[in-house]
Amino acid sequence: MESLPRNKGIVLKLWICLLAGLALPCQVTAQTVLVVWHSYRGQEKVAFEKVVENFNRANALRKISVTTLAVPYDAYADKITAAIPRGKGPDVFIFAQDRLGGWIEAANTVEPLDFYLDDAVKQRFLKSTTDAMTYHGSIYGLPLNFKTLALIYNKALIKTPPKTSGELVKLAKKFTQPQAGRFGLAYWYSNWYYHAALMNAFGGRAFDPGPEPVLDNPENIKSLIYLLKWCNTDKIMPADPSTALVTTLFNTQKTPMVFNGPWFLGEIDAHIKYGVAVLPTIDEIGGKPMRPWITVEGVYIALPSRHKEESFAFATYITSVEAAKIMATIGRQLPANKAVYALPEIAGDPVLSAFRKQLDTAVPMPNFAEMTMMWSPASTAMNKIVKGAASPEEAMREAQRAVVESVRGLRKSQ
Amino acid sequence: MKKFVSMPVAVGLLLAAALAFFLGALFVDQAAEDMARSIEERRGIVQAMALSEVVSRIESQDTDVEGRLATAVKYWGRLETGGIRVIRLSGARLLASSMPGDGTIPRRLKMDEKYLFDLGQRLRIARETNRDEGIARKKEIELEHMPDNRLSVSAPYLVDGAVRGYVQLNLPQHKPARLASRGPAILGAALVIGVFFVLALALGRYGIFRPDGRGLSRGQLALAAGVLLLGLWIFAVTQLSALADHRWRLEEGLAEHFMLVREASRDISQSFALKTAPITDNRWDVDEYRRPLHINDGHGHLRLKGLDGVQAALFKEMRRSFDGVGLLALALLLFSGAGWAGRLKHTLVENREAYLYVSPAIIGMLILVFFPFLYGIVLSFTDATIYNTGAPLKELWIGFTNYVNILADIHVFARTGQGWVVNYQNFYWTLYITVAWTVVNVSIGVSVGLLLALILNTKGLKLRAVYRVLLILPWAIPNYITALIWRGMFHKQFGVINQVIQMCGGEPVAWFDGVFSSFITGIATNGWLSFPFMMVMCLGGLQSISQEMYEAARLDGAGRWHQFRYITLPSLKPVLVPAIIISVVWTFNMFNIIFLVSGGEPAGSNEILITQAYKIAFEQYRYGYAAAYSTIIFVILLAYGIFQIKMTKATEANI
Amino acid sequence: MKDTLTGEMNHIWLHLFLISFTLLAVYPILWVFAIAFSGNQSLMIADISANPTFFDHLRTILPWPQHISWQNFSDVMTEQPFARWMLNSVIVAALTTILGVFLACTAAYSFSRFKFPAQRAGLMSFLVSQMFPGTLMLVPLYIIIVKYLHLGNTYWGLIMVYSTTAIPFCVWMLKGYFDTISVEIEESAIMDGATRTMIFFRIILPLAQPAIAVTALFSFMTGWNEFIVASLFMEEEIRYTAPVGLRFFVGGFAQQWGYFAAGSIIVSLPVVILFMFTQKYLISGLTAGGVKG
Repeated sequence: MESLPRNKGIVLKLWICLLAGLALPCQVTAQTVLVVWHSYRGQEKVAFEKVVENFNRANALRKISVTTLAVPYDAYADKITAAIPRGKGPDVFIFAQDRLGGWIEAANTVEPLDFYLDDAVKQRFLKSTTDAMTYHGSIYGLPLNFKTLALIYNKALIKTPPKTSGELVKLAKKFTQPQAGRFGLAYWYSNWYYHAALMNAFGGRAFDPGPEPVLDNPENIKSLIYLLKWCNTDKIMPADPSTALVTTLFNTQKTPMVFNGPWFLGEIDAHIKYGVAVLPTIDEIGGKPMRPWITVEGVYIALPSRHKEESFAFATYITSVEAAKIMATIGRQLPANKAVYALPEIAGDPVLSAFRKQLDTAVPMPNFAEMTMMWSPASTAMNKIVKGAASPEEAMREAQRAVVESVRGLRKSQ
Repeated sequence: MKKFVSMPVAVGLLLAAALAFFLGALFVDQAAEDMARSIEERRGIVQAMALSEVVSRIESQDTDVEGRLATAVKYWGRLETGGIRVIRLSGARLLASSMPGDGTIPRRLKMDEKYLFDLGQRLRIARETNRDEGIARKKEIELEHMPDNRLSVSAPYLVDGAVRGYVQLNLPQHKPARLASRGPAILGAALVIGVFFVLALALGRYGIFRPDGRGLSRGQLALAAGVLLLGLWIFAVTQLSALADHRWRLEEGLAEHFMLVREASRDISQSFALKTAPITDNRWDVDEYRRPLHINDGHGHLRLKGLDGVQAALFKEMRRSFDGVGLLALALLLFSGAGWAGRLKHTLVENREAYLYVSPAIIGMLILVFFPFLYGIVLSFTDATIYNTGAPLKELWIGFTNYVNILADIHVFARTGQGWVVNYQNFYWTLYITVAWTVVNVSIGVSVGLLLALILNTKGLKLRAVYRVLLILPWAIPNYITALIWRGMFHKQFGVINQVIQMCGGEPVAWFDGVFSSFITGIATNGWLSFPFMMVMCLGGLQSISQEMYEAARLDGAGRWHQFRYITLPSLKPVLVPAIIISVVWTFNMFNIIFLVSGGEPAGSNEILITQAYKIAFEQYRYGYAAAYSTIIFVILLAYGIFQIKMTKATEANI
Repeated sequence: MKDTLTGEMNHIWLHLFLISFTLLAVYPILWVFAIAFSGNQSLMIADISANPTFFDHLRTILPWPQHISWQNFSDVMTEQPFARWMLNSVIVAALTTILGVFLACTAAYSFSRFKFPAQRAGLMSFLVSQMFPGTLMLVPLYIIIVKYLHLGNTYWGLIMVYSTTAIPFCVWMLKGYFDTISVEIEESAIMDGATRTMIFFRIILPLAQPAIAVTALFSFMTGWNEFIVASLFMEEEIRYTAPVGLRFFVGGFAQQWGYFAAGSIIVSLPVVILFMFTQKYLISGLTAGGVKG
């Protein structure tokens, strides 16, 4: 029913053309409507829609227009899996890279983009964000924005943020008062994603080589032992951490420092003055920096889309400097476009430039399909370790065994 | 005739025979077609593999690559091809082409030829993946049946072990040669059935079998069934041997074709003085994963051993199809012969009013519930994973393997350095937790709900409406947030519950660290969420009990407990039993609460079956295995449902 | 007959019990209110002090925000088309209720009053349909509704899914209740020349009011709080339902609990109103029927 008016329009135009006596070449180029799915909300959505509006205005003559649909994050992956392979989905969709491997392996969701990509477009992105979009040597999406952990601190309580782990522990100890529920540092350290910053600092990794899981490699275990030092020896962090706990502690000024990502900024109470700094370096391993994972929101073209070239034009547009500036200033996002950080209004923004600086030491989170089967065993192991129910070696060996088993269940000769 | 072979049996037999032969012929045709198609595909693969070998040699010599490729492609045209393309991935170059409409060569691929480039990338990734993982998981050769009856074959060419590009051949497909006529087979089978009728007629006339006894109709059916199967057997045997001959001829044709390809390849190699490896085996006759098939020996001769394997697999499948057809025909024969068809019709007409009332609901259920349900069951017998999405389920069929893997793993306890520990990932442990979880939750829900309903039903109690509204709030507020608030209340240091414990002078409890205490957190939350539902159900149910019964009981001197036990409870039964069954089913499959509150802590010991199934499907991407898990959940619940109804005879209440 | 004094005494105990139980039951919801009215976004967690006294503990367990603000409520209503989504939800849930209860009534009546072959199997099949875990069946459901029935992006697609989810329980519940209504009334009505349809609408349905009220409430709730199917089927934001809108606040990394709590309260209001409305049917008491032996 919805498409009726449009069809009517076309029929009308055809009639007009016929009546005009076919004197002029009939120009009935139908409007190309690109459907774009995303899961933005609030200011991010405002910024995104503004970018879309600009695109529509610029492409009115080419008869391309974009309509957007926001999908709640919790249903987004299911919606993509259900709709796109059936040809019912969008032309373009925006999602983090963590599920990319699965979609590519299923071979019915994302369109490879290598063929479209020229060097000019490839060069516009920060290197590690393009890496996140690469799977088996091919690029499947244009990086739009990235997210990574950094040190977020309460300016009223911390004058200068710590640069090294030694400074961090010293500052934190001064503040910690467990009985009063005050802790010098809080982050969701029992969550593997958050722990990855330490893990990567120690040279640890999830896969090596290629998609072979190596959860129990010695570097991972060293990083866990180091985490236990913060928990048990220095005692600077609360037990049973969760996002809700970390947020509340920070908002009630019971913790001055948290490791958290840009999403956290929207949850901070209005009266708290915060600053963002790069995660500290770790003295015990010769001052190597903490290296958090990067998640990158990519712009993907749906495989069944019938307007791929127009879709790519749109993807190129929203990753341009012009669009990135809007998303950085209005949406407070961190664009993957590197030129945008040279603009004065962005370079002068302490928050954005701090996260941008953090990106230099950060590493892309693996996008293998096997990654999703790692979360559950890894978080079980993490919980056991921080609660002292198992030693890091035991717990990680157990996790590794579970992951290897799941991987074996998946990979089979045909 | 009526005397010996009753009408329904005769009709059934004819219908069954017609159906059986029709389906049988269909299957045989299908098999013959598949066979011809697979030979065509192999013919294409042999050519593509041979050509890709030539191309990779030309590429590795690196002198006048494009010119030589053009010559080679042109020479290759002597073979029966509809067009050839050679594409190099780096730079998206079309190196050589004999396809009409490709324009000037060499050049970069055009925008609308992106699919050609992507195809090459797929082949490269397939090769790399298979190499890295050491298995044959992704197809390294792509086949496509084009709408204009052409077959397109794309095979990668490798230089120094890495995929550099690929060759694509378009081949005209031969019309599959028809299978040897099936006339004699049908004739033979029809003869058997015909003789049966004639004999029956004759015997009936002479009154040898008289249709007096009830047993006789069974005898008739058995005899008819035997005849039907015999006819089908004759048909199957002749058709299968025809298929075998057919295959032999096709393989011979392929071997001849191979010799031609070999010649062309040798000619090109010699003219460019390329290094060639001696041909000892037909290394070009490979499957789509580039694994050699070993059916012919590279000199135009067939290898019986290689062929037998393929043949046996085919025959096994055909036999299974014929078994299926036989069963179906038998069912049809029985359906008609034993009078079921007649009875069904009679029943439908007789009870049309009842069925009319039921049908809208049933039809809705059929469409929306039973189709997905059947799909789930079918899926549970396959090895479907994210890696083989799109492959037909038939190819992934693995029978009961998933079920065996789940149910046969009985290592609930494992021995470690610290003695025996429970393996929390084991199916039986999870089942145990699930059952405990369900029983405790439903008991709490029902008893609290019933108690509150009874209290709120007290005559003359003030403020009942206020209590009722306040008490349904846990049901009304979205449980996503309340479950998380419950989780927060159980926090060791900041949780309200531990504050209360400390207020009363106790020590704080680390709720999520112990298997039992963590279990309690889930129970508390879910009990809180589910009692309002039970309360409302019981309130509704209590209205059906008339006050006179209580008065009569009171006159007889029955106490409160007696009234409850002998009036309230039995009267509530028709409402309570379905509510209990449905709560059991839901609680058994209650996904959110476990996930949000305890997250299965500690160490996954508090997972229930459905959370495991979810993890298998959405974290491990093993759809078939997860479907088997779901089916097991279903069977357990079904068994429970039947048991519960048998126990309470709820359905018999007023039938 | 017990004397009135003990009756009063009993009521006092009942009130005491009910008050304490209601307080316990409502306690977590008070936290939802506290979060919603706090004007902030974090899930509140007890604020503890170094050497807590009894009163410190008491203070920490009281769900009361530091300052009270309507900000969260007004943001929820203005930042997104939440009112429209509420309307969509009301439409979907109301139609689900009407369709589900009506189909369940006819089916339950047939199961209760007629005797026909496959009756038990039919009744069982309703129950069985609930037993297969639904989480894994989203894709087949999507295929049927969106691909084959072309009901994607419509209310009807959702209504069909929700009512088929609700019907099985409703059928069982109503069948159980119909069984308790005596057959004699119907028999005499038939004697007077009434048709089955008349009996069904004029006699059975009015008598079964309490059960219909219960099933209606249940059907409404089935459609009311569901979010995943709704977000799967809808292709325009304007057609989302309220639970879908709510989920925008908490998905992914960012968790805006203040908005979510405020939204939850808004979303549960219609349910409470509906419940207040159905209450009078729920306790209307069955007087005309009488229990079958």
